[in-house]
Amino acid sequence: MSKLARVTLSQFLTYRGGQPMLAWLLHRIAGIGIVLFVGMHVLAAFFLYGVTGGTANTVANALTEFYESRPMQIFILFAVLYHGINGLRIVVLDMWPGLHRFHREAMWLQWAVFLPIFLIPAFLIALGIKIG
Amino acid sequence: MKVKVKVRRFNPEKDHRPYWGEYQLEAQPTDRVLDLLVYIKGYIDGTLTFRRSCAHGICGSDAMVINGRNRLACKELVKDVGRTIVIEPLRGLPVIKDLAVDMEPFFRKYRSILPFLINDEPPPYTERLQSPEARERFDDTTKCILCAACTTSCPSFWANDSYLGPAAIVQAHRFIFDDRDRGAQARLAILAEADGVWRCRTIYNCVDACPREIDITRAIGEVKKLLLVE
Ligand code: FES
Repeated sequence: MSKLARVTLSQFLTYRGGQPMLAWLLHRIAGIGIVLFVGMHVLAAFFLYGVTGGTANTVANALTEFYESRPMQIFILFAVLYHGINGLRIVVLDMWPGLHRFHREAMWLQWAVFLPIFLIPAFLIALGIKIG
Repeated sequence: MKVKVKVRRFNPEKDHRPYWGEYQLEAQPTDRVLDLLVYIKGYIDGTLTFRRSCAHGICGSDAMVINGRNRLACKELVKDVGRTIVIEPLRGLPVIKDLAVDMEPFFRKYRSILPFLINDEPPPYTERLQSPEARERFDDTTKCILCAACTTSCPSFWANDSYLGPAAIVQAHRFIFDDRDRGAQARLAILAEADGVWRCRTIYNCVDACPREIDITRAIGEVKKLLLVE
């Protein structure tokens, strides 16, 4: 096979797929984000308890500070909600293939559900407002 | 109206890397992109290579990327694509020259799902009759013209060229849901493999790319569901 059969990143990004292609990309990014987030947690706990036995540990502190920062909190909120809601859309469409006809409407419905659930808490986190 | 056509060109015998050929020409809004290519080849640069046969959207030879989407050049009108038209070969298949890609990897997958009637029962004295309802069951997937627009628009296929791809699954669907056929188990076994239907990530690029407006993701979904309940 010629090496030109390989699809390059720029070819990938310049293909004008519709909204569902974007949804799939975001789904992947959110999924990797969640894995990294949980990974950092585990790593921080390992350094804190496994290495220094529960006393202050610089690596654990740095990691905790990073994943507890506001942008990270908002990112993880996005990642978990998006991954979950997008996953539900796909599960529903896969279980009832007849519904694929309405896949465009499903995208809009998904945004309508996702945006308020994400934006309101994200706003509160960004402004540093605590409830309760 | 004046249009600018940019074509991704590559001749493996003399070019090190692909380059953009640019052509200015006069076109009617009702011209098809294929007409522009024919004009360029006839009057501007005879070395331009592309495939076409029927020129009426039924043979499936001239699928290509037109302004970033997989389309048949013989079905796209200039008025719908604008004054600047960017044309590239299909992604994910080896380029033979300019817009002509090697379709063999694509047809190999097509053949792998056994795209023919399998039925060892002795044929009746007349035809194998089928009710209109039973025929309707797989009507949508009989429309496929094997142009490869769907398969080469699929990010799963770009990432992994051993994935069967939407076209092969559509063809399998056409026989699996045909009540005269008895080969469903053999096909489902192939589709259940790692490079079968489960590589579909429900991205719908194929549905948008299909010049025959087949509801491809639905067909794939029906095969997935059949595998699940079997
Ligand atoms: S030339 Fe036959 S489909 Fe376009």
